[in-house]
Amino acid sequence: MTTPTDVNTLRLDAGRNWPYSQDACMTCGMCACVCPVSGVDGFDPRRLIRLAVLGMQPELVESRWPWICTMCGKCENVCPMEVRIADVVRRVRSLRERDHVPGSLHKGLAAALATGNNLRLPKEDFLFILEDVAGEIREEPGFEDLQVRVDKKGARVLTTIHNKLVNTHTEDLKHWWKIFHAAGEDWTVSSENWEGTSWGYFTGDDAAMKTMAGRILQQMEALEIDTLLWPE
Amino acid sequence: MKKYRFVTVFDLLTEYITQGRITLDRKRFPQLATYHDPCNYGRKAQLRFGHGFFEEPRWILSQCVERWVDLYPDRMNQTCCGGGGGTLVTGYNDERIYYGRRKMEQIKATGAQMLVVPCHSCHGQLENIKAHYGRADLEVKYLWELVADTLVLPSDAT
Repeated sequence: MTTPTDVNTLRLDAGRNWPYSQDACMTCGMCACVCPVSGVDGFDPRRLIRLAVLGMQPELVESRWPWICTMCGKCENVCPMEVRIADVVRRVRSLRERDHVPGSLHKGLAAALATGNNLRLPKEDFLFILEDVAGEIREEPGFEDLQVRVDKKGARVLTTIHNKLVNTHTEDLKHWWKIFHAAGEDWTVSSENWEGTSWGYFTGDDAAMKTMAGRILQQMEALEIDTLLWPE
Repeated sequence: MKKYRFVTVFDLLTEYITQGRITLDRKRFPQLATYHDPCNYGRKAQLRFGHGFFEEPRWILSQCVERWVDLYPDRMNQTCCGGGGGTLVTGYNDERIYYGRRKMEQIKATGAQMLVVPCHSCHGQLENIKAHYGRADLEVKYLWELVADTLVLPSDAT
């Protein structure tokens, strides 16, 4: 009996970095039927899972496949063997060298870890934008006395801010503020570590996600706030 | 150990509406609307945490407009908008736009003029691809944007 030359059987269990369920895959194809990425770049969830089953980790980690997957979970929803395909994808993403993470995903996350937000936006600029937008809302009828209270101790609700709302989409800051105003909510936003996104979710970086979440909790503790709205 | 409370956008909006802290006018947007289930709020929340947010946003939407229809398929079987998993910032834009074709087909099939979403990534994706699929006229709205735009204020009483 011969062993296929392109599968190193010694690698099957050696150095496997995830404790997941891919070995149960029967290659039935249910996942491939529902996957929005099937057929793109030769991708098929079964092929990705097969690489994992065969222990071909380096090939998998260098492949584009884990990154063109949207981790939407349709595959898992139909998998009769309950293989957690999206989790395998995320785990494989975590093994990519950080400098080789595609696009701005890791750069944004690194900025957030270093400065508290993905944009490296300085505190004074952040505060200026908030007040500027608040001023615009106050020009609308019914919102003349709208206030944005930053770092308000003892407020009922703390909310995070998605970085795009203080970048290219400042108009979209207004919706929640108007609702808060109309509801008479006692709310606040933190002047530091206000970032609402947590791109470790996309890059497979659990430690970064923990850091980001921990910072928000620290703000709640410092400002004595019990309730968090995290709209991202 | 101190306990903290985490609320979703749905929890807070539902709280405001049911407690009468905000009042909404369902007549401002007479056009037909539809709702997109984000993967993370819906299917993945159900798979990972045992509760998918399917009914909450639909109830809120019903407080904002009189006419809306579901996409098909929806809830657990909904189709990804194509903007998930960080694809908006990975640089794989050709792929991302291609993935969105099914979602745009679903939306077109409803005849809806307004698409309501409760997710920043889905909103960014659908706003970005709608013209590519011939629906530059489609109004893509955040769920909370719709709530804000239907608020009845004391100053509205005339």
